[in-house]
Amino acid sequence: MSTGGLVGGSPPRVGGIGRVTGSQAYVADIRLEDQLHVKLVALDVARARIVSIDSSAALAVPGVRLVLTAADLPDPMPRFGPQWQDRPVLAIGETHYHGEPVAAIAADTLDAAEEAARLVHVEFEELPAVFTVARALAPDAPLVQDPSLRPGDPLATTNVLREHHYGWGDIDSVAADAEVVVEGTYAFPMVTQFAIEPHAFIAAPDGDGIAIWSSIQHPSWLQRVIAGLLGLPLAKVRVFAPDPGGGFGGKQHAKYEPLVAFMALRAGRPCRLVLTLEETFQAVRRGACEVHVRTGFRRDGKLAFRDIEASYLIGAYADIADRTVGKGSYTAGGPYNTPAVRILARSVLSHTVPSTAFRGFGNPQQIWAVESNMDEAARVLGIDPVQLRLRNVAARGDDFLPGDTLADGQWAETIQKTAEMIDWAGSVPAGRGRGIAVGLKSGPTTGLSYSTVRLLADGSVVVSAGTSDMGQGARTIFAQIAAQELGAPVDWVTVVMGDTAVVPYDQQTSASRSSVLMGNAVLNACRDVQAKIRVMAARLEGVDGAEIVVDKGEVRIGERIWPLRDVLVRGLGRLGGEVIGIGEMRKEADPDHPLGGTAAFYEFNCTAVELSVDRDTGDITIHRHVTVSDVGRALNPMQVRGQDEGAAVMGLGHTLMEHYILDETGRIRNLGAIDYRIPTSMDLPVEIESAIVENGDGPGPYGAKGMSEGALLCVAPAVAAAVRDATGVSIRDLPLTPERVWRALQETPSK
Amino acid sequence: MTAQARRIELTVNGRSRSVEVAVHHTLLEALRDDLGLTGTKECCLVGECGACTVLVDGASVDSCLMLAVEADGASLTTVEGLADGERLGRLQQAFLDTGAAQCGFCIPGQLISAEALFASTPHPTRAEIEEGLAGNLCRCAGYEQIFEAVELAARDGTPA
Amino acid sequence: MRAFAYERPESIADAVGLLAEHGPEARLLAGGTDLIIRLREGTIRPRVVVDVKRIAELDGGIRETEAGLTIGARATMTAIGADDRIRRDFTALSEAAAVVGAVQIRNRATLAGNICNASPAADTVPALLTFDAVVVAAGPGGTRRIALDELLVRSGVTTLARDELVTAIELPQPDLARASAHLRRTRRRGHDLAAVTIACVVRADGRTRIAYGSLGPRPLLVGDDSGLLADAAAADAVKAALLAQLFTDASPSPRSMRASPDYRLAMLHVLGMRAVRTAIERLAGAR
Repeated sequence: MSTGGLVGGSPPRVGGIGRVTGSQAYVADIRLEDQLHVKLVALDVARARIVSIDSSAALAVPGVRLVLTAADLPDPMPRFGPQWQDRPVLAIGETHYHGEPVAAIAADTLDAAEEAARLVHVEFEELPAVFTVARALAPDAPLVQDPSLRPGDPLATTNVLREHHYGWGDIDSVAADAEVVVEGTYAFPMVTQFAIEPHAFIAAPDGDGIAIWSSIQHPSWLQRVIAGLLGLPLAKVRVFAPDPGGGFGGKQHAKYEPLVAFMALRAGRPCRLVLTLEETFQAVRRGACEVHVRTGFRRDGKLAFRDIEASYLIGAYADIADRTVGKGSYTAGGPYNTPAVRILARSVLSHTVPSTAFRGFGNPQQIWAVESNMDEAARVLGIDPVQLRLRNVAARGDDFLPGDTLADGQWAETIQKTAEMIDWAGSVPAGRGRGIAVGLKSGPTTGLSYSTVRLLADGSVVVSAGTSDMGQGARTIFAQIAAQELGAPVDWVTVVMGDTAVVPYDQQTSASRSSVLMGNAVLNACRDVQAKIRVMAARLEGVDGAEIVVDKGEVRIGERIWPLRDVLVRGLGRLGGEVIGIGEMRKEADPDHPLGGTAAFYEFNCTAVELSVDRDTGDITIHRHVTVSDVGRALNPMQVRGQDEGAAVMGLGHTLMEHYILDETGRIRNLGAIDYRIPTSMDLPVEIESAIVENGDGPGPYGAKGMSEGALLCVAPAVAAAVRDATGVSIRDLPLTPERVWRALQETPSK
Repeated sequence: MTAQARRIELTVNGRSRSVEVAVHHTLLEALRDDLGLTGTKECCLVGECGACTVLVDGASVDSCLMLAVEADGASLTTVEGLADGERLGRLQQAFLDTGAAQCGFCIPGQLISAEALFASTPHPTRAEIEEGLAGNLCRCAGYEQIFEAVELAARDGTPA
Repeated sequence: MRAFAYERPESIADAVGLLAEHGPEARLLAGGTDLIIRLREGTIRPRVVVDVKRIAELDGGIRETEAGLTIGARATMTAIGADDRIRRDFTALSEAAAVVGAVQIRNRATLAGNICNASPAADTVPALLTFDAVVVAAGPGGTRRIALDELLVRSGVTTLARDELVTAIELPQPDLARASAHLRRTRRRGHDLAAVTIACVVRADGRTRIAYGSLGPRPLLVGDDSGLLADAAAADAVKAALLAQLFTDASPSPRSMRASPDYRLAMLHVLGMRAVRTAIERLAGAR
């Protein structure tokens, strides 16, 4: 329930009123004078060579202003991408995945644009596509990417974009200690973010520059991309980033903003593109993955070594996918003290939708494998799965990931709390099974956030922060911090976001970083204001600044205490004015670190489920789902709960029902909401309980850590472990749909 | 073929509206584009997600699966009609109180479906709430806070 | 969507006239929950859409007659699911109507539309088949009655003429006691298209009717008059063997992405046994 506005309370969401009245303007709700409507033209095949494009019939449709193809763009084709600049603004010569646009229409009405899109005649030759790891790695596999895009790279003549090697210790020398070795291969499917708001983009000429509206999570990053592609100075590119209707990583990086920008400049009018849901499935997804895990244990359950080989099937363009492979694999060993770890992870290109960031960022795939492997090991060793985790989990301060941040939480406490909540020690009701798993993810490795805080003449506050509030509640957190530090009621704080002309630089909104990085920037900006108030108070009271304490909305000199607002009003005097504070939070890169920087913090979660399986149909009924996250400090408990339970249910999605279904040529068969299933209100666990561990041990304001990915990380292995407990059957491929569970039960003699 | 248009008369949120619509446009398109009511959202366009839910003569429907012309003579309620000026409806207030709205995109549809549920079942059980909101997908929430909002509003009793 | 013309006839005669005039270029619009999706996809491209909802002679009511119940062509799934008489005497239909999509779909989707769309997965058709439903249709030549089992041909195809429209569905009520059950197999508990839909009626005279959908081009009706299936004391293994015989015409699509053929067939058997068991229990409970 919502409560008071200070940090640790749960005031009503800032921006909540707009959300419940429908007045909040998402990008698709914005109407610009004279706007043109854009529709994309794509081929209904996985891969094709473009022979010719005939736009004449399309151009003849009344109201059509522009039909853009690769031929209309600069030569060489402008390319972009956060890791490699490999993605063309429009397909040129070849389409590399089902849904890659070959043309775009801009018309006065959406009807005209749709009609014209149907009339663009593309002559093409279908080409064989690779869309599995095995096929992509086969020696005779067609290359997804032109080798010239990676000059000097020995892997450029393969579909392996990059190989990551991580680890420490020497497996061979500790192998003798491993009395029990458990190994297996696990598969994680292709799934898509399916935010309820489809991506939307508007570009409009803006004087001698350009204005972009986008559902983007990283406005400053987008500004840089557009400026680079158009050859404009940053100051002439204005990005408006209204709060997205869900992002989950799928809206982090540029997709069609460059295209729409070129069209707007060509047409001299605003151009607006709102994707259909089907088009979003063809724009963003998570990397699929095959993971082979081999783990050695001593008889007493202590880990001796972990040996992992993983192949992530990424898409036709790199986007940020390789980073997800690196970052997700780097911590694949888990939150455990392990003497020797060896990780080989590959990013494998394929003729599929470019995979990108998605909540968990490469970790869920590895955690699925490693935690399932831990559960299997527990069975083989005859050790309780909770005990196996407790015996190996790192304690706070342990150097469990050599070269990186020490373990920053009392993770055993999270595990114990979870076990208690699900009554792990108690007997399991007949016909049910229980499973438990843990998940670890590195927070941001670098970061840079600026904030300005303006304390206005009446004590109200304007906070500017470039974070994207896509539902996680960043606005509210920043308002709470400012309210707390400057003594204003939380509803006297306005938070301005999403406009690069007005809001200072923020690197990005990802990796659960914003409460920590931007939160600290806001806090520092408040401290800057407090310092100026101290100067004011010194002047007013004729006292040395060193004798004055300004803290949480109060000014104290010895025994005397004033509300900060009183000092402000007196201090501003007849001219009025305001006090402006600037705050910065920086996490520097470390070029020697394999990930470019150490983890600012870790997200840690423990999930336990209790379920039953209908052996005749394969239906899983989750009776209880317990999820506990180590959050440092819950700045807003109501929002923390919302994020944790949301992440848990999203995890149930890929665990129980979500997957792309491709045909034998690589075309996606289940585009859209009818055949891509996500959990509805009827698909929830009978009981879902979330809890947090707060030890104030985070680097964020008031001891906070980032959160909201943790509760998704280990849902799948917890469920699979419970299925095994209930039926005796281990399933290593997701999702655990009724049919797949049924099939696994059919193929295994019953327990 | 050139689009055929038709003038329709309908009541939206208590107000009489007369508007010319293309007969092949959906009610969702007419609400958002012709009537300027962008509170109702567009997502799946196949009647699965419920982001476009509105009340038509008191019944909750997916406005993406209705032609605008089918609403001729009907009385509609959209999310914009739930508040009384500045005063939020009890469901809207409850959604704020329990933290039910995260990114907010599914919320207009959830609110309308909850209104419809109350009309037939003023004190729904949890199972009835789950069933009543099953046609409204949310990707942010675990749904729990949404259910709690509906229960809270039901306890408050007075009509929205 | 591609443009089309829209007509809103106010009488059956006018509607039939439009259908006769435009032939295959016309499509009837009732609830729209199937039609609008196909219009958006472009899988159908009619020149004119004929909205039946202002036709004076059509209604959405559910009326008792001497023979049983008559359901108007405009009756929605919500109305059918809420009707006490249907719940009591045609339980499988009530259960089927209650799971057609979610609330928003059920408020618009009509029983007549579900039949005429002729999807092999039509949720209400198996139940209607077990109840010997009769479809009443009006055309230029007048009104005729067609047994539902004779109306359905295959996916998307019925024996209705181009210029006919459904005006009502009749459900005969036999003199003896009976009970029914409806089950389906979906990929999640939330609304979904079914991989298997099955309805079962068990009668006091020992006769059983079972109809199943999504395992072939149209739902199929089978029956057991021997009394074996209806016999609570008969062994499961014996019933299973009989069901296996009854289901020999089941032909699941090898290409379906919703479920594999072997799973569908297995579920047909599992759900068949469960539906029979439930119907028997309900019949016993009602006596």
